[in-house]
Amino acid sequence: AALTPLPPPAGTDPATPLLCRRGAGAAVAAVAGDAGCRLLTVADLFDRVIRHSGRIHSLATALCEKRLPPRDNELGKSARKCHTSGMLTPNGTEYAQKIPREELTHLTLKLLQAWKEPLSHFNQHIEHHQELPDDSLSKAKQISNMVHELKTGVEKVTEKMQSMGIINNSLTGMASSEATGLSISNEANMMSDSDFIHCFRRDSNKVQSYLKILKCRIMPENSC
Amino acid sequence: MKQKLISSVQIILLLALTAVGLTGEYSPNSCYFDKNHTNPWTTYIIVMTMNEIIGSNSSDPQYVDVTSMVQPDSHVSLSLETKTSASIMSLWAKWSPTPLPDVSPILYSVGQFFIIFPVHFLFQTISVEVQTQYKVIRLHAGVKYVVQVCCMLDLGEWSEWNSERCIQILICEWIISPPEKPTIIKCRSPEKETFTCWWKPGSDGGHPTNYTLLYSKEGEQEVYECPDYRTAGPNSCYFNKKHTSFWIIYNITVRATNEMGSNISDPHYVDVTYIVQPDPPVNITLELKKPINRKPYLVLTWSPPPLADVRSGWLTLEYELRLKPEGEEWEAIFLGQQTQYKMFSLNPGKKYVVQIHCKPDHHGSWSEWSSEKYIQIPNDFRLKDMIVWIIMGVLSSLTCLIMSCTIVLKAYRMIAFILPPVPGPKIKGIDTHLLETGKSEELLSALGCHGFPPTSDCEELLIEYLEVEDSEDQQLMPSHDNSHPSKNAKMTPKETETDSDSGRGSCDSPSLLSEKCRESCPLPSTLQTQDVRDVQANKGGKSSWETQCIASEQKTLLFNSESKKSSTWPAAQLPNNQLPMFAYHSTVDAYKITWSTTNVNIAPVLVGNEEKHQSQYSITGTPPMCIIQGIK
Repeated sequence: AALTPLPPPAGTDPATPLLCRRGAGAAVAAVAGDAGCRLLTVADLFDRVIRHSGRIHSLATALCEKRLPPRDNELGKSARKCHTSGMLTPNGTEYAQKIPREELTHLTLKLLQAWKEPLSHFNQHIEHHQELPDDSLSKAKQISNMVHELKTGVEKVTEKMQSMGIINNSLTGMASSEATGLSISNEANMMSDSDFIHCFRRDSNKVQSYLKILKCRIMPENSC
Repeated sequence: MKQKLISSVQIILLLALTAVGLTGEYSPNSCYFDKNHTNPWTTYIIVMTMNEIIGSNSSDPQYVDVTSMVQPDSHVSLSLETKTSASIMSLWAKWSPTPLPDVSPILYSVGQFFIIFPVHFLFQTISVEVQTQYKVIRLHAGVKYVVQVCCMLDLGEWSEWNSERCIQILICEWIISPPEKPTIIKCRSPEKETFTCWWKPGSDGGHPTNYTLLYSKEGEQEVYECPDYRTAGPNSCYFNKKHTSFWIIYNITVRATNEMGSNISDPHYVDVTYIVQPDPPVNITLELKKPINRKPYLVLTWSPPPLADVRSGWLTLEYELRLKPEGEEWEAIFLGQQTQYKMFSLNPGKKYVVQIHCKPDHHGSWSEWSSEKYIQIPNDFRLKDMIVWIIMGVLSSLTCLIMSCTIVLKAYRMIAFILPPVPGPKIKGIDTHLLETGKSEELLSALGCHGFPPTSDCEELLIEYLEVEDSEDQQLMPSHDNSHPSKNAKMTPKETETDSDSGRGSCDSPSLLSEKCRESCPLPSTLQTQDVRDVQANKGGKSSWETQCIASEQKTLLFNSESKKSSTWPAAQLPNNQLPMFAYHSTVDAYKITWSTTNVNIAPVLVGNEEKHQSQYSITGTPPMCIIQGIK
C-alpha cells in the first residue's frame, strides 16, 4: 500500500537524489503528467509522514470516543497502564528540543515498533468479539495497516537523512529498536480494550508531535 | 388517685397578723407555712379574718391543695452548647433544677423555640421527664436556636400539669458547619506548555474557608499541592512549564477547609495535550493588491498568538475566518494552517466585518474570536462605464418617446396593421331587386363579374366564334391575341341575340347565353375570390388546371371532329371566364398553341358535342372554362 500522493512543492532541488522505489510499502510519487518516479525531498517525506500520523491519530480519537463517551472520570481509571509507559520518552517540548535528533528519531521508531504486534493481536481480538459497531471495526482494522505504513515511511525518512548527512549513523540500528519493541509489546496483551485504545491514541499523538518537532528542527524554513 | 382528707384536719387560721410575724423575712400580707405545717395530702381551707374595734370581717374560704399549687422556681440554670462528634454537630441543652431537697422527682419539659430566619417559627415541645439535659440533633447551619425549659412537679399520683413555670432563656448561638464541596470548572492550556485550573467554591456559610488544590500524576502515588495560586487569579491554580507534563493524566482535586472541617471535590482527570485552547490570532492586517489587467483584491494576513510555539512544530494551529457584510449573516471559512486569505469579488461600497480564530490541529478547543476588523470597500466609479450607461439611457428614452408618439398618432392604423380586419365576403349576394328589374349589368357588376359579358357581350363572343368557323385561325387568333377579356367579350355580336336554334346547343340563343352567362358568373366570382385569396397557393395549380383543361379540350377537339356547334362556345367562354388575369393569359397562350397545332379540326371539334364536353369537365375544382360546360 502506497502513501497517498501529494502535489509537488514548487522549486524542487534537482540535486537531491532520486528516491523512488516501486513495490509494496515504497514511497511512490504519482504526479499527473509524470509517468515515472519523481524526486522526493526530505521535506516532502516529512510532510507525508506527518500527515499520515495525523490521520492515524484522528482515527484513534474517533475510535476512542466511540468506545467511551468523553467523560473526564473515565480517564482516571487507576488500573490503566500502557505497555509503552516504561519507555523513556520526552513528555514536553523542552525535552523534545533538547535531545539529539537521532535519539528522537530512534524513539519514534521504537514507539511504532512497539505497537506493531499489539495492533495485529487487537485486530484478531476484535474480529471475534464483535463489540464494536461496523464502522469502528473497519477503522480499527485500518489502523494496523496505517501504522505499518507509517513505520516504513519514517524508516525511509531516516535513511534519507542519514544518506544526506543530516543525522549521523549512530543509531543503534533498527534491529535493537525492533527487539525492545517486541519485548514491550508482549505486555500489551494484558491491557483491556479501552485501555488499549487510550494508550494507542496517546502514543499516536506522541509520534505525531515528535515528527513535527523533528521536521522543524531539521528544516526550519518549511512552514514552521 | 387523689385522696383528699378534707375533713381530717381543719385548720382555721386565726393567725391574722400574728402569723406574719412568724415569717419574718417574707413580704407583708403573706403567710408562710413551713415544713411542719405543710401537708401535701391535705386540703387547706383558708379564711382570712379581719378584726377591728368596730367589728370583724372574714373572707370567703379558699381551698388550697398544696400539691396542685406547686410551682417550682423558675431559676433553672439552662446552658446550651454545641458538640461535634463523628462530624455530626449537636446542640446540648443542660439545666439544673433549683435545689429542692426531699422532693419527689421533678419532671421537666423542654420547649424548643426555633427561629429560622427570616420569619418562621417552629415550636417543638419535648418532654424529657426526669432528665436534666437534652440533645438537639439535626442542626442547621446559620440557624438561631432558642431553648426554653419549664418544669413541673408531679408527686406521683398527680398527672396533671397544674402549674407550670417556664423559663425562657434566650441563648443564641450560630451553628458552624463544614464547607460545601467545591467543584472544578475547567483546566486550560493556552500554548501547550503550561496550564491553569479553575474551581468554583461551594457555599461556605460566610465563614473563612481555605482552598487547597492537590494533584497526583498517573502512575505515581505522591500527591502535590498547587505550585501557584496567584498568577491566574482567585480560585485558580497555575502550573508552569516545570510542572506541566504531557501524555500523562493528572488527577486534580480541591479541598475546602474551615473551622469545622473540610470537604473535598470530585477528582478531575486531565491530559494536558487535549485541553489546549489558544489565544486569538494577532496582527491582522489588510493589504490591497492591484495586479495589472486584473481586478484589485484584498489580502488579509495574521499571525499566530504570541505564546504559541508554532516554529518548533510543537503546536500546530488551524485557522477559521468569518466574514460578513455589515448587517447580514456570518459566513465561516475554514483555512487550515495558512495565515493569509485573499478576498476577491467584494461588493464595492460595502463595509465588511471580519474575525479570525484558531485551534490546535488535533483535539482541542477553538480560541476566542479576534477583535472585529472592518473593511470598507471604496466605490469603484469608472468614468467610462458611467458615460456608456448615460448614453444608453438617453438613447433608449428617446426611442421610447418616438415609439410612443408614433403609436399615439397612428393608433388606428397600427391596430389595423397588426390586426387586419376580417375581410367581408366578396360575394355581395344576389340582390333580388336587381334580378327583378332585369338590369343585368348592375346585377352582374354587383355579383362581381367584371366584364362578364352581358347578353350583348355574349352575343359578340358568339358572333366572333361564328366567324371563326369560316376562317378558323385568323379571326380567332387576333381575338385571342387581344387577350383582353372585356374586348373579347365585346366582340360578341348582337346578332346572336336572335333566338335561333341552330343546334349549337343551349348557348346559341342569346337568352340562354345570357342565362348561362349569369349562372356562370357566380362561379367565376367565386373563382375570383378564390383566386384572390389563394393566389399564391394556386399559381402552380393553375397551370396544371390549364393544362388539364387544355388537355381535355384537346381531347374534345379530337373527339368531336364534326360538329360545328358552338362548342367553341366553351372555348370562347374560356377567356372570358379567366377573370384573374394571369391565368387567362396563360390559357390564351395555351390556346394559341393548341390552335396552332390543331389547325383544321379545331373548330368543328370544339363545336362538337357538348355532352362530351360536359362529361369531360366537371364544375368543381376546375378552371372556369371547364365549368361553363357544366352550365348546360
